[in-house]
Amino acid sequence: MKVSYRWVRDVAPGIGLTATGAIERLARRGAPVEEVVDLAEGLGDVVIGRVLEARPHPNADRLTLCRVVGPGGEVPVVCGAPDVREGACYPFAPVGAVLPGGFTIGRRKIRGEYSEGMLCSERELGLGEDHAGIMLLEGRYEPGDPFAMAVGLDDLRFDVEVTPNRGDLLSHVGIARELHPEGQGGIVLPSLPGMTSEPALSFARGSSESGSDGCRIMIEDPALCSRYLGVVVRGVTVGSSPRWLADRLRAAGARPVNNVVDATNYVMLELGQPLHAFDLARLAGGTIVVGRARPGESLVTLDGEERPLTPEMLMIRDAKRPVAVAGVMGGGDSEVSERTVDILLECALFEPRRVRATRRALGMSTDASYRFERGVDPATMETAVTRAASLILAVAGGAPAGEVIDVHPAPWRAPTVTLRPSRVRHVLGVDFTPHAIAGLLSPLGYEVVERGRDALEVVVPGHRSYDTLREVDLIEEVARTHGYDAFPETMSPWRPGTVPDHPLFRLEDALRAELAADGISEAQTPAMGPARHGDVPLRNPMSRDESHLRRDLLPGLLKHVERNTARGVRDVRLFEIGTAFAPVAGGPPHESSRVAAVLTGRRTPPHWSGRGEPFDVYDVSRVLGLVAAEAHPGARVAPAGTEAVPHPYLPGRCYELVTGAGKVVGWGGEVTPSAVDVPPWVGAVVGAEVVLPEDPRPKPGVTARDLPDQPASERDLAFLVPPDVAAGDVLGAARKGGGKLLEAVEVFDLYLGDDLPSGMRSLALRLRFRARGRTLTDREVDGACRRVLWKVKEKTGVEPRT
Amino acid sequence: MIEDLRRLEREALAAIAAAAGLDELEQVRVRYLGRREGRISAVLRRLGRLSPEERPAVGAAANRAKTAVAEALKNRLAELEAVAAPDRDGVDLTLPARGRWRGTIHPVSRVIDDIWAIFRSLGFTRARGPEVDTEWYNFVALNTPLDHPAADEQDTLYLGPGLLLRSHTSPVQIRTMEQYPPPIRIIAPGMVYRRDTYDATHTPAFAQIEGLVVDEGVTFVDLKATLAEFARRFWGPGTRVRFRPSFFPFTEPSAEVDVKRVIVREDGADEETDWIEIMGAGMVDPAVLDNVGYDSERYTGWAFGMGPARVALLRHGVRDLRLFYENDMRFLGQFR
Repeated sequence: MKVSYRWVRDVAPGIGLTATGAIERLARRGAPVEEVVDLAEGLGDVVIGRVLEARPHPNADRLTLCRVVGPGGEVPVVCGAPDVREGACYPFAPVGAVLPGGFTIGRRKIRGEYSEGMLCSERELGLGEDHAGIMLLEGRYEPGDPFAMAVGLDDLRFDVEVTPNRGDLLSHVGIARELHPEGQGGIVLPSLPGMTSEPALSFARGSSESGSDGCRIMIEDPALCSRYLGVVVRGVTVGSSPRWLADRLRAAGARPVNNVVDATNYVMLELGQPLHAFDLARLAGGTIVVGRARPGESLVTLDGEERPLTPEMLMIRDAKRPVAVAGVMGGGDSEVSERTVDILLECALFEPRRVRATRRALGMSTDASYRFERGVDPATMETAVTRAASLILAVAGGAPAGEVIDVHPAPWRAPTVTLRPSRVRHVLGVDFTPHAIAGLLSPLGYEVVERGRDALEVVVPGHRSYDTLREVDLIEEVARTHGYDAFPETMSPWRPGTVPDHPLFRLEDALRAELAADGISEAQTPAMGPARHGDVPLRNPMSRDESHLRRDLLPGLLKHVERNTARGVRDVRLFEIGTAFAPVAGGPPHESSRVAAVLTGRRTPPHWSGRGEPFDVYDVSRVLGLVAAEAHPGARVAPAGTEAVPHPYLPGRCYELVTGAGKVVGWGGEVTPSAVDVPPWVGAVVGAEVVLPEDPRPKPGVTARDLPDQPASERDLAFLVPPDVAAGDVLGAARKGGGKLLEAVEVFDLYLGDDLPSGMRSLALRLRFRARGRTLTDREVDGACRRVLWKVKEKTGVEPRT
Repeated sequence: MIEDLRRLEREALAAIAAAAGLDELEQVRVRYLGRREGRISAVLRRLGRLSPEERPAVGAAANRAKTAVAEALKNRLAELEAVAAPDRDGVDLTLPARGRWRGTIHPVSRVIDDIWAIFRSLGFTRARGPEVDTEWYNFVALNTPLDHPAADEQDTLYLGPGLLLRSHTSPVQIRTMEQYPPPIRIIAPGMVYRRDTYDATHTPAFAQIEGLVVDEGVTFVDLKATLAEFARRFWGPGTRVRFRPSFFPFTEPSAEVDVKRVIVREDGADEETDWIEIMGAGMVDPAVLDNVGYDSERYTGWAFGMGPARVALLRHGVRDLRLFYENDMRFLGQFR
């Protein structure tokens, strides 16, 4: 809501706050000022100039040579406008002045004549779009006076952030009510220039229909329009508004249109009541019917758009057709124009939800619909219609014809709410006496009456009758007007809650710590991706790149590998913890928490002592193991075989993570080169992804084992392993063969060399034997080694290397 | 004599500073502090010959000079040793250290961790809910009718009729209260989604933290006290906290919470920042409690919601939110 601070002060004399004070108070009342615009900004050098003489430039057809009186006496000025009036005043920028936009005025010679200053157009001053001519100042001005002050531009425009519940703040009176020490009591609507005493209007009332002066108004749907006031004004002269009115509207950020429309907008900005003026001659039968659109109808609104209508929409109709979308926008055909002589001024109250539904269906929002959606004060309508009529008379002439037609199906009654001071304390934690409560609420327009012990009857004013209809709403008003700052900050004892800390958070924390410690950095990517990354489409996506919910995390991370390498970063180690989505027929998608990681580049930072080896699948195996230890205790990392390897892993370079119960909960391996678009200098990209349990059990605690008190015996054995035998099978057989005495097996070398038969690998194992409570003899260890060799031979056919 | 000592000390300190190697430094030491030829040592040796009146003053000056020179020698020795040339085994301590990759936890996660640590100490636990939710949980149960302008504030991503990506973490309030009886004392961190285009302060997916307290006798004073305590623990004891009236459909009274932090300037002086909006909060609207079957006459509560990415932005002086989601290793690597 844009407000002119000068206007706010005009409707509530005695606000007595500086602009800074007003901004501060508005913030404390829940309506912070987001932006302050100094309307005189950049106009400090501009003064009033009077043209003493204007004659055609001797050497140019389109230029005028003037003599202008400014602050320093008379100067010659060459002006581009052809119709400079002698004796009139204009904004004048003397030599040395800097205009908005930074243009500096200098002494110049134009076609042989000196020009010492410039007469300015609205556009040059940043005041409007009009640059056709220079800005004629009508009225009495003193040459040399500062321009901004003289024309009332020494004003500030506040852009006030109004929350959706505060329709009452969408007017200058509403803002003034929060600022004046007496609130509502401080509001005094000023008499406006040209306004004689308010016209004595009488009201022709009816409950569903009424008329006057040959004009009839009918409400078909009283649930959607609870009151309609119409005034006929005959004999208006439509033209541009007087300066003060145009300036006022501009100061509040509105665009002047013509005197009649400007008068309705003025009253809307002042009181918050949207108004509309119809060209009476264009209303068939001089009739207004407030009712639904008929099937198949359409209306060209005054923005020139043809709007298809549906019977859900409330319209203003004449005897034949719709002429306005009720509470949203008038029709182009019945718009007030220069040819208009008689008008019908509408001041109505439309149902907020229907206005909202209609304007959403039409895909538009207007100043009127914005206010109706948030609730327009039913108690101000008569004031608004009277004030608008008298303002129209003042600026456009004419005379009211007949009575105000007032169709009012059910008279508005102010709601009452019971407020218990004990409940105020219960919610706010501070005692308020009935007297104190009344002192806080009355200035806002509430009437507070004591009705027995612990019961106040509060009569809600019209401007708050949409928002404060419950006891708790009034409690908020008490807190707000008391001031949040005034409440103490005393901590009270608290009880622990009944909700256990969700174990998935603890698991995620542990995974973050583990993976970061392993050298991998946490990434965050959006859950939305292109269609190929997901099976759950969004109905209203922002773009095709983010049209589906991801089925896995890894593709998103691979995209970030691409981004990093595209920027020349070759060592990329990222992990992410997030949600993946799978479609479920007829229901919300299934969500699973995942952890995924990608690694590419060197395993260690570059160092002169050795070249960094690239990451490979054995790193994936480690990462899967790390994750398994936290998320799936007891799960094992196993080769996934070569068939049915999931995208994007390379067959034969893929692991799966298998739980004790045999369920596959994760995958990892080398990423197929076609699945990640990286420059050729990037080596292998490896990755993994694990589904986290929905309700993870706490990690089992550690039971410490005693340290052995006997020495161990170690033996090294090497095996010649043919290509069709898995090293893991050799290791497994060795473990079996070693039996209870075999404490550990370590692969300490893997050799592939030309001196070995083709495809053969030499696998060197270090076996550690130990027995509890006694030292093993050499014979026992030799025997165990023989059993190892025998078992390996039996299970895999592999022979020791000799 | 004392003059001489001062001159000697100056000379010695200059020579020490100029010494380019260990050998040269040793020569300096011998020249000034050597037992036989040391020039300062010589003065000390001659003390016995001075008159008893002169002796204490000169003695003190000589000892001071000796201490100062010895100290300077020690420091210079340490410096020279640090840049010593490779020894016989080729070990050269001036070569770069051997590195290890260090992973980092995302700055937004770290903010969430720090917020959690504070609320944990205030007796809170963590709750979670689905990211795809229904209009009931995201709006209606939270006292936000779909045909009310308040529903406009968040442009929501939909999956299908009534099914959406949650636009805030507040649905967790409803889900938690449906599942557990009061008292409730939770925070709920999680991802939320809006139909926003990417710019310096918006991303369509971002983290949020919800907080909810419900019990008998919980008041607006508790809300203020707890959140102010949180703010002072998070941003430091000098932090000022301001509560301003605002509007959220699911709280009443509602507040915006602003903080004014104290930061240490480069010259060491304290400086207060501007007020910065950090969270929305308020007393739980009784309609919300009614919607989950709580007795709203008996129980009251308060709730808050904040954006940890915004907090991370302020904390690290990051100008553009998008940096947090580009996942550039060079950016992430800074957050150790």
